[in-house]
Amino acid sequence: MPMTNVSVAAGERLIPLVSAAEAPLLAQPYFSGGDPGPIVAALAHVPEMLEVTLPFVGAVLGPSAIDPRTKEVVILRTSARASCRFCVESHTLVALDSGLSVSEVRALRGELDVDEAFPAEEDRAVIAWCDALVGTGAVAPASRDRLRQGRPDHVVVELTLLAATTLLLNRFCTALELPTSPEVLARLAAAGMTS
Amino acid sequence: MSTAIAEAVRDGRLPGRVWLYSNYHCNLVCTYCLTDSSPKSPRRDLAADRMIDLAAQARDLGFTDLGVTGGEPFLRLDMVDVLLAMAEQLPTVVLSNATLFQGDRLTRVEALAGHPVVIQVSLDYADAGDNDAQRGEDNHATVVAAISRLVERDIRVRIGTTLDPDVEVSDDEQARLCSLHRSLGVADEDHVVRPIVRRGRAEVSDMGVKATAADLPPELTITADGAWWSPFGPTIRGGIPETDLLITRTTHPLHTPAAALLRLVEGRPAGDDARLGIR
Repeated sequence: MPMTNVSVAAGERLIPLVSAAEAPLLAQPYFSGGDPGPIVAALAHVPEMLEVTLPFVGAVLGPSAIDPRTKEVVILRTSARASCRFCVESHTLVALDSGLSVSEVRALRGELDVDEAFPAEEDRAVIAWCDALVGTGAVAPASRDRLRQGRPDHVVVELTLLAATTLLLNRFCTALELPTSPEVLARLAAAGMTS
Repeated sequence: MSTAIAEAVRDGRLPGRVWLYSNYHCNLVCTYCLTDSSPKSPRRDLAADRMIDLAAQARDLGFTDLGVTGGEPFLRLDMVDVLLAMAEQLPTVVLSNATLFQGDRLTRVEALAGHPVVIQVSLDYADAGDNDAQRGEDNHATVVAAISRLVERDIRVRIGTTLDPDVEVSDDEQARLCSLHRSLGVADEDHVVRPIVRRGRAEVSDMGVKATAADLPPELTITADGAWWSPFGPTIRGGIPETDLLITRTTHPLHTPAAALLRLVEGRPAGDDARLGIR
């Protein structure tokens, strides 16, 4: 199970995923419970980055002061706008598991109209903020003002951090062409949500 | 600079030596080479100024000794100067096959006399046939002659003997090897015997003893590719560095891998000492 550090023939993955047998010492705890997933298996090439990135990502994307449903709205919408296949496929299932309806998930993925799927302004403001964040240059003040309506500053900051961290992952997963797991693809197919 | 690392070294929780892989290419092709080294191997050089800087950082962190290995370090024409600069920081041992110590290279290496630099030379058997089967034609005669030249020049020499644990070595053979090194002016305390570790080319050749992190002393080891748990860690198989004993890719500042190594060591179960005695 050798790894290679050079580009390989067309059709092969550019960066191989580290296997459990190859896992560096600092990365081994992440492999002890079985397949840790492609993000960990890719980051394991640089174990000192893995051991700080994973806790950071876990803290930002995991349970926090913001409810799980809103967090998945941010993650899935940002990923869809950033065209990250891996994150959209993975978080479609997480979003459904977090209580979002099929039509809401489809709207976040850009397949249905957001205003129809999300009647509440509270949700629409979050979605508009994600849309504004994906891109370059200044972020429209109007979308920020809209997000801040009725929300304390710490929530605005955390939602922004969540969207920004999602973008980080979007670009990482897209650039390295990380593969979606067969289990996720099977569940997506069963739910009729294949992208 | 780093009290925790210095204390760990002082208390014996962390070995005091830091190893640097100067390069991976070699003029020999030994059957059990961990690093799959040969004349055609990619060099994977650590730059001279980086090696000297790492030596200074190692001293500042509280490490007590340095080691240089390869590949064959003395294929590098700057090696003597690098060793002299490193030895200004900490006592240094350099591992060598000793086949290059003649002519200009011998003249150059004379500069190490009187400095805290020890050359550890590989010599596996008292009998040339057995030795050369592992290390190449005429290796025994070349190395024995080189050891004499080094000792004559007041350069301290250690002998490293590497044996396949599956091949029985009789007491008589061992005694003859010890007689040989004594006759060359190398004391018993400067003769180390260790098993072939089943990594790199040794694994491909189906030789040696398997070794995990639990079997190997945690001696911080720096290469051009990263920092490893042990000098037995940054092995090459199929042209690719094996990563199971990798600690960090960051090697500069040295504090980063040193602190990570200490965390790994302190995470080991109490009393879990290295089991195979591999040095």
